[in-house]
Amino acid sequence: MVDQKKLRDEAKKIITREDVKYLVGWEKGTYGFQMTPLFVTSSDDVERLVFNPLCIHNLAVFPMLEEKLPLRKGAHEDTRKIGVVVKGCDSRAIVQIIQEKGLEKENLILIGVPCNGVIDPKKINKRFFHQTKTDDIEEDDKNFIIKTDGKTHKIPKDELIMDKCKTCEFPNPVIYDIFVGEKIKTSSKPDYKEINSFEKKKLDEKWSYWESQFEKCIRCYACRDVCPLCYCKECMVDQLNPQWVRRSVNVSENAAWNIMRAFHLAGRCIGCGECERVCPAGIPLTKLNKKLEKDVLELFEYKPGIKAEDKPLLSIFKPDDPEEFIL
Amino acid sequence: MLKNDFEPNIVAFLCNWCSYAGADLAGTSRIEYPPNVKIIRVMCSGRVNPMFVVNALQQGADGVLIGGCHPGDCHYVQGNYFARRRIAVLKKLLEYLGIDERRVRMTWVSAAEGKKFADVIKEVTEDVRKLGPMQQIRRTNTW
Repeated sequence: MVDQKKLRDEAKKIITREDVKYLVGWEKGTYGFQMTPLFVTSSDDVERLVFNPLCIHNLAVFPMLEEKLPLRKGAHEDTRKIGVVVKGCDSRAIVQIIQEKGLEKENLILIGVPCNGVIDPKKINKRFFHQTKTDDIEEDDKNFIIKTDGKTHKIPKDELIMDKCKTCEFPNPVIYDIFVGEKIKTSSKPDYKEINSFEKKKLDEKWSYWESQFEKCIRCYACRDVCPLCYCKECMVDQLNPQWVRRSVNVSENAAWNIMRAFHLAGRCIGCGECERVCPAGIPLTKLNKKLEKDVLELFEYKPGIKAEDKPLLSIFKPDDPEEFIL
Repeated sequence: MLKNDFEPNIVAFLCNWCSYAGADLAGTSRIEYPPNVKIIRVMCSGRVNPMFVVNALQQGADGVLIGGCHPGDCHYVQGNYFARRRIAVLKKLLEYLGIDERRVRMTWVSAAEGKKFADVIKEVTEDVRKLGPMQQIRRTNTW
């Protein structure tokens, strides 16, 4: 558990510096078990800053979302730094963006926090149906202690945390300037059991599964907008000339969109699972992303988002890359 | 339609410097190969965006062939190496979604290999003929 006071102290130190524009963290949401991103712009805001297992958002998306307007004549670019509070997976996204030269490390201040797994909103909302208030949430080694309406609930962690957190390899951030809390030891290995068993199915079965999933897609592009690594200035689906993916919502176009979204994240996706969380149609997008993660590991022994000095997967090659498939 | 009557549509993205010249050699040497292949010339196999492949499959192709120079012979030194990585990942992804990976093929054909080009086209055409028409992500509306 992260000491909230210490986190706030560190945030206060950062935000009072002159070379810092703002800091992104989490605050308590308006109702229920919701947290919401908080932009700390002055030291007054710091008191609202929290970190607990409900802080699910990947804040690495915000430095990339920031709109950079064209400069007026004589005006200087705002080169002040941006602070971000990062969990393990968020920090990997940041590393990946730095690798691709989307951001520079010098322009960021990262507060690292250890994370034992975040609570899946779907799972907790099922348990506390129509819940509007939370008082407190704490965690010990195996349980979450949720105090609400004067009652204390003790719920095992396995029942509430996101599936991706169960096999998390990086509970501690891989890159940070300030670390708050205690480091977590882990020996988890990535688990590709589900992917392997799905791969063994027949082609027809696979397609009928994905067809039923892609049929649901309404192409709201929420998966793209929330993804810290989807930061192209113009996305290929927004292009009109050539128009790669047509506007009509049907299985063909939806499949094309989902194939390309997954492919563009090949060797880049760090598995934060935000796309699946925000999907209003409930398409299991991590199942696609994880498959590519596994392939990339098997084919090229590459794991994204670990070292900022590495080169991105598809911009490098080895002369002896696998080529059994070539005629 | 019976499967035997099915004539596959193959779209081939051939690189300007090797495979396209190889196809040209096959033509000038009067080597026969199936007429199912529609050739699109690209400057390098590294130019082939996976979106080209997906779009071709959407718009009527039953199979896609990507032809490049042999490793080390690329006119742009390393374009075909990048293409190889990309297509390797794309094939795995398509297989996972339930689209037979044999619909997307890659080959190295040099400018001197007219015979090899004809053989490759024959092989790909026969493979795709066996697989039947592409149905999964075929575009049905016309606008």
